[in-house]
Amino acid sequence: MGGALVFWVGILVCGLCAGALFTFKSMADPTLWRTCAILSLSCCYLMWAVTYLAQLHPIIVPKRDDLRIDL
Amino acid sequence: MATMSSRGWGMMRGRPKTTTIFRSEAMSLVQLYIPSDVARYAVSQLGEIGLMQFRDLNSEVSAFQRSFVNDVRRFDELERKLRYLHGQIARSGVDVYDFLDDGFAGGSRGPRDIDEMEERIAAHEGRVLRLTAAYKDMQIKHLELLENKHVLEEVSSLFSEMTGRQASGAGLGGAGGGGGRGADSMPLLTRTDTSSRRSIGSMDAARADAAIDIEAGGVGRDINIGFIAGVIQRDRIATLERVLWRSLRGNMFLNYVDVEDPISDPRLDEPVYKSAFIVFAHGASLRDRATRIAESLGATLYPVDSSAERRQEDLIDTMSRLDDLHQTLQNNAAARANELTGVSEQINTWFTVVRKEKAIYHTLNLFNYDANRNCLIAEGWCATSDIPAIQSALHLATEDAGSNVPTVLQELRTTKEPPTFIRTNKFTDGFQNIVDAYGVPKAGEVNPGLFTCITFPFLFALMFGDLGHGALMTLAAALLCAYEKRLAWLAKDESMRMFYTGRYIVLMMGIFSMFTGLLYNDVFSRALSLFASAWAWPTDQGGEGVTVEATRVGGVYPIGIDPAWHHASNSLLFTNSYKMKMSIVLGVIHMTLGICLQVPNALHFRKRINIVHVFVPQIIFLFSIFGYLVFAIVLKWSTDWYARDAAGELTHISPPSLLNMLIYMFLSPGSVSESERMFRGQAALQTLLLLTALVCVPWMLLVKPLILRREHQQIISEGYGRISSHARVSSEGEGLGGAIVVSEQEEMEADDFDFADIMINQTIHTIEFCLNSISNTASYLRLWALSLAHAQLSEVLWTMTFLPMLKMRGALQPVAIVCGFAVWFVLTVGILIGMEGLSAFLHALRLHWVEFNNKFYDGTGVKFEPFSFRAVLDAAEEQ
Repeated sequence: MGGALVFWVGILVCGLCAGALFTFKSMADPTLWRTCAILSLSCCYLMWAVTYLAQLHPIIVPKRDDLRIDL
Repeated sequence: MATMSSRGWGMMRGRPKTTTIFRSEAMSLVQLYIPSDVARYAVSQLGEIGLMQFRDLNSEVSAFQRSFVNDVRRFDELERKLRYLHGQIARSGVDVYDFLDDGFAGGSRGPRDIDEMEERIAAHEGRVLRLTAAYKDMQIKHLELLENKHVLEEVSSLFSEMTGRQASGAGLGGAGGGGGRGADSMPLLTRTDTSSRRSIGSMDAARADAAIDIEAGGVGRDINIGFIAGVIQRDRIATLERVLWRSLRGNMFLNYVDVEDPISDPRLDEPVYKSAFIVFAHGASLRDRATRIAESLGATLYPVDSSAERRQEDLIDTMSRLDDLHQTLQNNAAARANELTGVSEQINTWFTVVRKEKAIYHTLNLFNYDANRNCLIAEGWCATSDIPAIQSALHLATEDAGSNVPTVLQELRTTKEPPTFIRTNKFTDGFQNIVDAYGVPKAGEVNPGLFTCITFPFLFALMFGDLGHGALMTLAAALLCAYEKRLAWLAKDESMRMFYTGRYIVLMMGIFSMFTGLLYNDVFSRALSLFASAWAWPTDQGGEGVTVEATRVGGVYPIGIDPAWHHASNSLLFTNSYKMKMSIVLGVIHMTLGICLQVPNALHFRKRINIVHVFVPQIIFLFSIFGYLVFAIVLKWSTDWYARDAAGELTHISPPSLLNMLIYMFLSPGSVSESERMFRGQAALQTLLLLTALVCVPWMLLVKPLILRREHQQIISEGYGRISSHARVSSEGEGLGGAIVVSEQEEMEADDFDFADIMINQTIHTIEFCLNSISNTASYLRLWALSLAHAQLSEVLWTMTFLPMLKMRGALQPVAIVCGFAVWFVLTVGILIGMEGLSAFLHALRLHWVEFNNKFYDGTGVKFEPFSFRAVLDAAEEQ
């Protein structure tokens, strides 16, 4: 999996958001719940995507100096 | 139909019932014509549904001159009586029944019910007052008798003691038969040295003996040493002694004894300790003087007979009277308790009714009286969709009053700014409070509360990211939400109210914190390994102090940060860069949302100019600088900086520094150093973006004011001039014979055009926006800073309190682990969840109030405060 995953998940999230636009019809305030759903999805997606992208092509590698040699 | 609809609201019926908190509700200014005999019932019904906010139509009349002042006073008086009764109930320890007679308090009461209630309250109050007064009198009498008893007892004990001493010492037995008052007292003149009793006398023992001789021998000789006796507060006895000594020039003798039990005086709050004293003085005038002095010091004097037998009789008499009085006191207390119990069953209902009635007359005072048609005219705001509910309430009121004259409701056309009514539910209420604390939206303005519901907990969670802490927070909030009915009493508690009313905010914050904690891969500062790490540590090298590097073995860790970073010595290097960039990306997106919300505002208020010449340049300005920065961040992430081409050469020289890129974009436009280059044509693009941003500044600054001025001049040149703002008003109420006396003077603010004013505003606005776009973006870095602080603090807490216990060896380890866990857990809840949570909350608040709201939100509205009994009763209860 490479960077394309971010793209595909993005499309999926857009689809879910579009779906949210047509749900919550029976609620007292559909706009509220639709907005909440769309914003939550977008926020979570953005954070996940940022975290994923940040590790896609790492510039530094993890180092540690407290490893014991296990012979 | 009893209530008639008039033109205006009939059209509204077709509107959908769904309302949203995106904007405030559509409001209507309505006028009610209420027949006088229905008015009280109508206001009562409207108070029960609480949907209408009345305007004061008598604002020029002082509070004392209004029509229903006497009724308000009457209920004030009733409330005072009830408060008195309530105080008596509380003092006597009778339980107040938590009972509310719904039929009487909630439904429709007639004036006769009220009169009856008033009579009953007055009767109860009168009885309680009488009983209390009698009780007080009897208590005082009881006190006097008690003191008298003490004096008698103590004086006779003094006498008998002295007599004993005298008898053994000088052989002069009781030496009775003194002349005048209490001349039998001579033995007391000797000084005693018992520790608790002390006496001072002018005469030394020898002279005292002589005096006794004289007294005993010669009754007829007019020496006349008598005494006075009484009680005084114990701490005043020394003063009494000294004052008497000085004023009688030493011609006196005082002895006292402490009364052991405290004496409770109904006139004082606390029981006091007293002493019984006896003063001997020579001659009636000196005794009078001593009496006056003692009384001025608060002593109470009691007649004490000189003969022992008489004293004994007095004592017995006093005792029996005390017993009688005690019985009477008990009877009185029982009668009082009985009376108060009767009151306590009703007092809640009465309080509710009286407060409601008072509120009704306060409201009626806001109405206008039309003497011609014997009706009251009320005017007020309500949500347009609530008009049917108000109609049916008025209909009910007409039935209650048994009247057949309908109340007329008429919707007024007005250009007045309506109050802002946002229909919140229990979920959105807390978030709306956050927004209202900054400013109430103007009517029709986009309400940031809608977006705050999600963005607020999300930004909070970015700073509070920890799966464990988030789970604890969610759990606590979920319990509060699940048992919200049973825990409703928490809202009354000063310190818990904030948590209770904000329980859904805390719930959302907790849920989002769990999500961000999952992505930060932090559970109480430990890491989760849900998936295979992308990094492998070498197994053949390492050791103390030797730095080893991990090698990449897999793809990308799918959700969150790779756990390999968790123990890495350079993990901060990675997380700082990641969190900083994330803050910028999310910050720019958040601000973009804010700027975009100008569009629905401009559409709603029909100000196209705000879209084209405010929104567009602003968004271009933001995107050409910070949008580009976000683009660069994403580009840097998605580029493999160590990729090699077919020949094995590195395709890139080195990863660029984005900070330098942004700085040199301003400092040396048009040139990008080879080592910092990210893509071809970068220099040209940067120059273009910079120029675009520069063009946006004068666009924002000048175009809108100039267009406004041109439009204004066009109107002037076409000859319209200024339209009188008062001309529009008078078309209301045509069908009612023009009897309306509604004042519409403050109707419209003058529509003056002042170019200088507009220009200054626009300049400030532009400068503010340009500077803010930079400082606000930097401000979002607090997301990184607080998240770093939170992670580090929880790491430190773990290594300082719990980890050493786990590493410990020996028999005590289990004990140490339990203690270590307790300390760690308490500090986690107190510091990390409590204090860190509060600080993250405040920072999230700031990001919404300043960085987000700033972009589109005026918040200059006035809150809709409908007349509602529930609000009235809540306010009364809080006092």
